[in-house]
Amino acid sequence: MIIHSTRFGDIDCPEEKIVKIPSGIIGFPLSTRYLVLDHDRDVPFKWLQSLDQEELAFVIVDPVWFKPDYRVTIALDEIMELGRVDERDLVLFVILTIPSDDPSRMTANLRGPVIVNAGTRMAKQLILRDEFPTRAPVLHEAPMLPAAAGHSISLVECHR
Amino acid sequence: MLVLTRKITEGITIGPNIRVIVLEIKGGQVRLGIEAPHAVPVHRDEIYARILEENQQASRTDAVTLPPFMQLQDLVKKKA
Repeated sequence: MIIHSTRFGDIDCPEEKIVKIPSGIIGFPLSTRYLVLDHDRDVPFKWLQSLDQEELAFVIVDPVWFKPDYRVTIALDEIMELGRVDERDLVLFVILTIPSDDPSRMTANLRGPVIVNAGTRMAKQLILRDEFPTRAPVLHEAPMLPAAAGHSISLVECHR
Repeated sequence: MLVLTRKITEGITIGPNIRVIVLEIKGGQVRLGIEAPHAVPVHRDEIYARILEENQQASRTDAVTLPPFMQLQDLVKKKA
């Protein structure tokens, strides 16, 4: 199927690539279907492009890339809506905010990461109970070692 | 809005499985205990509002900010 996007024009998107976010990215409940767009070059950043609102897209990144010690604990009940969970299928992204006047001041929202179940292609934005900042500087963090995605998640039966 | 008056240790029940109990009232602050299934997200208003605001800011990122990104990536590679 062809999807329309304000930033990238028309994109041919195989239907099996669609990521569903049933509860939406917080503040954008009307968009429940997204596509993860890679870049033509090898950069760790990707775009999460809405299929339901063509102007809506977020820059996402694997947090391990700039914050190797980032760890989140998720209760299994919290991600029930993502379908059957195999821990190896879980991938965590954080959303970046990039000021257009000075991109080097980009920040990452570590408090509200997006978790994707690659097995079911369902995702959800979490609000963590840990006191992570919503605006963590990205480029002032220690330089980065690429690491396997999914590294930073530990699943528990219960944490409330 | 439904308004109810409760004393300490009294609560309210919402739906079949959510309970909110008043634990303590002290100096203009109320401590609440909340019993809810894990699947029900419970957050302080201001945390939810902060995430929402941050998402709105993040959604304004322009595609043209990407070239500086790649430069930065190159810079990092050189450093490494």
